[in-house]
Amino acid sequence: MQPEDPQTIVEFSHERLEDLIQALAYAAIDDFDACMSLLREDGSDTFAWLEAGFNDFLGQLKIIKADLQGALARAEVSNRELEAKLETIERQQAAIRELSTPLIEVWSGVLCLPVVGIVDSQRSAEMTESLLEAIVNKQARIAIIDITGIDAMDTKTADHFIKMAKAVRLLGADCTLSGINPAIAQTLTHIGVDLTGVRTMRNLRDALQTFLREQSAINLKIHAGQAQG
Amino acid sequence: MTGSSDLLRPVKSMADPTASSAVERKFPVRAMGDVLIVRKRAQELGVQFGLGSRRATELAIAVSELATNIVKYGIHGEVILVTDPDGGQKGEIRVVARDVGPPIRNLELALQDGCDDTGPIDPALVLRRGGLGTGLGAVLRFADLFEYQPEENGKAIIVTFYR
Repeated sequence: MQPEDPQTIVEFSHERLEDLIQALAYAAIDDFDACMSLLREDGSDTFAWLEAGFNDFLGQLKIIKADLQGALARAEVSNRELEAKLETIERQQAAIRELSTPLIEVWSGVLCLPVVGIVDSQRSAEMTESLLEAIVNKQARIAIIDITGIDAMDTKTADHFIKMAKAVRLLGADCTLSGINPAIAQTLTHIGVDLTGVRTMRNLRDALQTFLREQSAINLKIHAGQAQG
Repeated sequence: MTGSSDLLRPVKSMADPTASSAVERKFPVRAMGDVLIVRKRAQELGVQFGLGSRRATELAIAVSELATNIVKYGIHGEVILVTDPDGGQKGEIRVVARDVGPPIRNLELALQDGCDDTGPIDPALVLRRGGLGTGLGAVLRFADLFEYQPEENGKAIIVTFYR
């Protein structure tokens, strides 16, 4: 292009200026194809050079915008994946919590909570919560907490266990602790817990047998009462 | 990884009695699942190291309490189990529980049973907060040494169990 005299007046039609404004309006709403179709690129006059410049600029913008949208879509996808993973983790954590306090209704109205593994303060609190809830929901009369699988416990946690047994009584059910090993027995006596109101049995089998014996004795009495009446 | 380093240990100390025999095992702690893993490993390590099953369980409970605290209050962190640490006695297991969370505001209070670091916990809230407030107390009762260490970007609790 020849260097032009800065004093030269460039002439162009009003229509072309309007087209340019329209083109920019299209660009603003991301319709780059409609936008670029309005711009001349032939460089036939000075105004066409300006249009060509806009055209280049908008072409670049279109590419960048497409890249950005691609990246955004990918981020969205990975975000959804992460959310799904998080959800899985939360579900698994709930499952772990449930597995760590398996409450089994071994007999009608008899709940058994076998405790195995490592009992820390958090787990102990979770056990209390689920046991008390289950007693109410299942209308249990007896709760047997079997701690055969535990070989050590913090004194405060042991204390909490005894309190849990007493809370069971407050709900109108009887609580039996079974499977206390020598180390736990020492822990319990060491902290001087009051064991009144908490029945202890050597093992789960003894606890169940005692319940069944008592149950049949009650049934006999009811039977006898009905016969008399 | 741990298995091979355990095998290497005696050979190393025979060759050079002054060489470090410390073995470190690092566990990232971000969620409750990590707590389950590290406490299981702590118990196994305790038994393997000759702590006896009861003492190993006590170690595992302490590790569990410390790791649970990291998840609850420490944002995220790590638990490092070190056997025969440098500068320690022979037959020592050291537990380093490090996190990036805020410092313990009042250690003396936090160590008391039924308290967190701001004071006594309302018994009615015990169930909802998912803990008894006796975790650090349990760690203190079980461990032979207890050390709290504020760090530039977080804090560490270091406890030691003797064989």
